[in-house]
Amino acid sequence: MMYDVTKVCATQYCVGMASDDVLRIHLQELRRGTVVVASLVALRHPDYGYALLQRLTDHGFPVDANTLYPLLRRLEEQGLLTSEWNTEESRPRKFYRTSDEGESVLRLLLADLAAVQRSLAGLIEGVNR
Amino acid sequence: MSSLTDRYVAATLRPVPPPRRQEIADELRASIADMVDGRTAAGQDAESAEREVLNELGDPERLAARYSDRTLQLIGPRYFLIWWRVLRLLVTYIPAVAGVVAGVAKATVGGEPGGAIGVGVSVAIQTAVQIAFWVTLCFAVLERTDVSLGLPEWTVDRLPEETGDRQISQPDSWASVAFLLGTVGLLVGQHFRGWTAGDGSWLPVLDPALWSFWLPALIVVLLATVGLEVAKYRARRWTWPLVAVNALLNLAFAAPVLWLLSTDRLLNPELVERFAWLREGGVDDVTRIVAVATVVIAVWDIVDSAVKARRAAR
Repeated sequence: MMYDVTKVCATQYCVGMASDDVLRIHLQELRRGTVVVASLVALRHPDYGYALLQRLTDHGFPVDANTLYPLLRRLEEQGLLTSEWNTEESRPRKFYRTSDEGESVLRLLLADLAAVQRSLAGLIEGVNR
Repeated sequence: MSSLTDRYVAATLRPVPPPRRQEIADELRASIADMVDGRTAAGQDAESAEREVLNELGDPERLAARYSDRTLQLIGPRYFLIWWRVLRLLVTYIPAVAGVVAGVAKATVGGEPGGAIGVGVSVAIQTAVQIAFWVTLCFAVLERTDVSLGLPEWTVDRLPEETGDRQISQPDSWASVAFLLGTVGLLVGQHFRGWTAGDGSWLPVLDPALWSFWLPALIVVLLATVGLEVAKYRARRWTWPLVAVNALLNLAFAAPVLWLLSTDRLLNPELVERFAWLREGGVDDVTRIVAVATVVIAVWDIVDSAVKARRAAR
């Protein structure tokens, strides 16, 4: 984990393994929803499962394969992604792409993410003042 | 022999509905091959790469559940509390009622009071297991069929009356009263259906001469203890006057029993005469065991009440 636990846990009450676990759980919760947003953004450019997994990981969205593959199917069933089998290469692969409906949902999600960021910034400022 | 990947894909598809199987299989196979290629390109040998990839994907049934949106819990948070409440409600009363009914039936209609407690306990346990199984099954089916029960939302009107300051719980009081009345029943019952004598007749276990005074006196003490249980329930906790009365009642029961034991007047002499092992020293063993048990129970009960009264006074 790239976060320095000792810096996050500045108080004397926060020691050792327990704080590490607590931090991990909260980070997981914080990240959960962002995988959907990141996938919808990344699939504006069509891609297959494994390649998408690597792109997301490279851009700081580490996600487990056994989470991503079923998620792609679910998003397709909800109509947010479309898919197409590409048989030109040596191995037939299913390519996903963000649909029009997915694009409009993505805009709302991104707007909400920005709103959360703004609210948080306002709150931090208010507390510091 | 089929490859690990073949076996993995087959295991993943087994719980998936048939119409979607082929497509998931093709995609999963391609994804696994891509992941293996990614590792072999980095210099790993194909066999260990395949093992690692499949280990990373994890339990096939879990993966299948993610593909088909199935729950991996018997009863989830949506139904857990209502399941728990229903179960508690049913398991508190029904097994006890069934056990008592079966025990009474065995003792009266069946004419075997000796087996009544065993039958009662076993019927109660069977009833509890059956209730737990069927209630849990119903809720597990609800969880999977996604049916809305349309239960009203929780409001403050549903708060329980109690605020937790009650030291004496209702089930405890019921259990004590049932035990006391059961003991009275045993004292009376042993006279009519005590020990089977072998020739079809029955021998009282306790000396019938005691009915002139001591057995009625002990029964009165037991009934007074029932009164104490009621008073204790109404007081909500142990108080020092209650502790004093409890100690007196314990003494009033234990002292006569010990005195009767020490003077060899408790057991029916006819019964002792009938059994060889009782004649040849067995009586002394029985006397000793009953005496120790009587003292231990009385002392335990008195100490327990005092400890609880002290705790409640804080």
